Amino acid sequence: MNPIQKIYRLLFFIIIGGLAWNILPFLASIIGMLLFSFLFTTIFLPSVDHLERYLKSRIIGVFLILSSVTIMIILFFGAFISNVGFQIKLFTQKIQNDDFTSNLETVASRLKSSLPEFFGNLVPEGDKLILMAKGSLITLFQQILSLVGSAGGFLFISVMVLLFTIILLIEYHDFKRTLVRFIPNKYLEVGLRMIYNIEQQISKYLRGQILAASSVAILSIIGLFILNQLGANITLIIFIGIIAGLANLIPMVGPFFGMIPAILIALMNNIGDEAALYHQLFGAIPSPFFIFDIILMFIIVQQIDNNFITPIVVGESVGLHPMAVMIVLLIGGTLMGPLGMLFAIPTAGVLKVIISEFIFISKNSHLL
Amino acid sequence: MKAIYKNYFRKKNLLNPVLEALNHVPIFENLLSSELKEVAKLTHERTYKKNEFIFKKMAPAEGMYVILSGNVQIVDPDSDITITSLKENDFFGELALLDEEPRSASAIAITQSRLIGFFRTDLLTLMERSPELGNKLLLNLSRVLGERLRRTNQELTKI
Repeated sequence: MNPIQKIYRLLFFIIIGGLAWNILPFLASIIGMLLFSFLFTTIFLPSVDHLERYLKSRIIGVFLILSSVTIMIILFFGAFISNVGFQIKLFTQKIQNDDFTSNLETVASRLKSSLPEFFGNLVPEGDKLILMAKGSLITLFQQILSLVGSAGGFLFISVMVLLFTIILLIEYHDFKRTLVRFIPNKYLEVGLRMIYNIEQQISKYLRGQILAASSVAILSIIGLFILNQLGANITLIIFIGIIAGLANLIPMVGPFFGMIPAILIALMNNIGDEAALYHQLFGAIPSPFFIFDIILMFIIVQQIDNNFITPIVVGESVGLHPMAVMIVLLIGGTLMGPLGMLFAIPTAGVLKVIISEFIFISKNSHLL
Repeated sequence: MKAIYKNYFRKKNLLNPVLEALNHVPIFENLLSSELKEVAKLTHERTYKKNEFIFKKMAPAEGMYVILSGNVQIVDPDSDITITSLKENDFFGELALLDEEPRSASAIAITQSRLIGFFRTDLLTLMERSPELGNKLLLNLSRVLGERLRRTNQELTKI
């Protein structure tokens, strides 16, 4: 290539890059929807392919799978919202009760006495605690209201993702063939290998993550059930377990998000219960409202997941160094928040495949 | 009854040039019409210009090709020997469906040619999606390779 050609090519890439940079914010939501659709397509593709063989119709297979999944999600959300509503209603009744004020004062004084003087001064007086509790409840309701307000947008995005997923699932193999048509003859075999490796990378990772998330959910439910037998009085354990399992999809930080609902519900249910307030973990460590029991239970679940389940079901699916995983997670989190963290590892895995294939091509270009 | 059903659908298949070409390849022998269609869905149709390489010797091998139209030569670039000349409905490169060794010779389009590519990744996908069909293909493939081995042995004995 002569220098003039090089300059023209560079200018072309700069102009294209500049245009893409300006257009990207407008396309970000569509790209996000497509990413989610692709994710769901990868999850459901094996089942659709399998069903197609028996039903002799891909469209019916896609319809059957997606409608049953949608019904399950709607049922889950319906049950979740009604149960949480009931929980909030119970808690509101508890707050309106006269005993609640004295209970809070007891909690505040007990916390003050059990903590060193320096920390004790940080614990507010009983009446201030009530104001704080009321304030946080109002914030909670406001947040729920804003969530309901944004439900329209969420519904639109969900419908779009569902439509994209339906199209992708029906046309997946044709899309793939169309994509292959764009590969020059010279790079056909290497290109096909790259596409296959990327598909394998994503599906292996997803399958592993779904299995790991399900096992974390089941283990958490069992753990919470055991804690309830010890008197923890935690309700909604199935929902908490599922939330913990889903939070587990985000590596490293997810498990900590997973335990928050359990602690909140334990606090809501046990506030005012003397036995729960003076509860001790292993009869020695003060654990008011079973908070430390819950944390310990989640840590045990995490250890079981990290040391036994994930190595077996996920294995070295992505083959990234733990240090690289951390850096990739930080980059994903900084760029796109929790969603970025969710997509960070598989994206890094895909990039790894692409880079290794490009290195192979550049080293063996004389053979192609 | 089965034969009537099979023939009826086979006739229909002949309208599609890809299905017709696959029908002539021993690797896709004894497949039902629906199975052949499933295989055809995974293949890739490519056009090669005159004198364009389909693959070069020592290049990474990913699959086999069936000639839809045109002529292809298999050559050894080191000794400059033409190993074989292939025409419509012939196939080559099938060994790459099984092993990951590099190509043992080069393939070059002598005229403008239309080929159907069936690759190892497609076979693996098929084996995952439809193990029964995957097994049939593997059995056919072993039969083809076995036959070729027997022929090579006979030729070696002659020498």
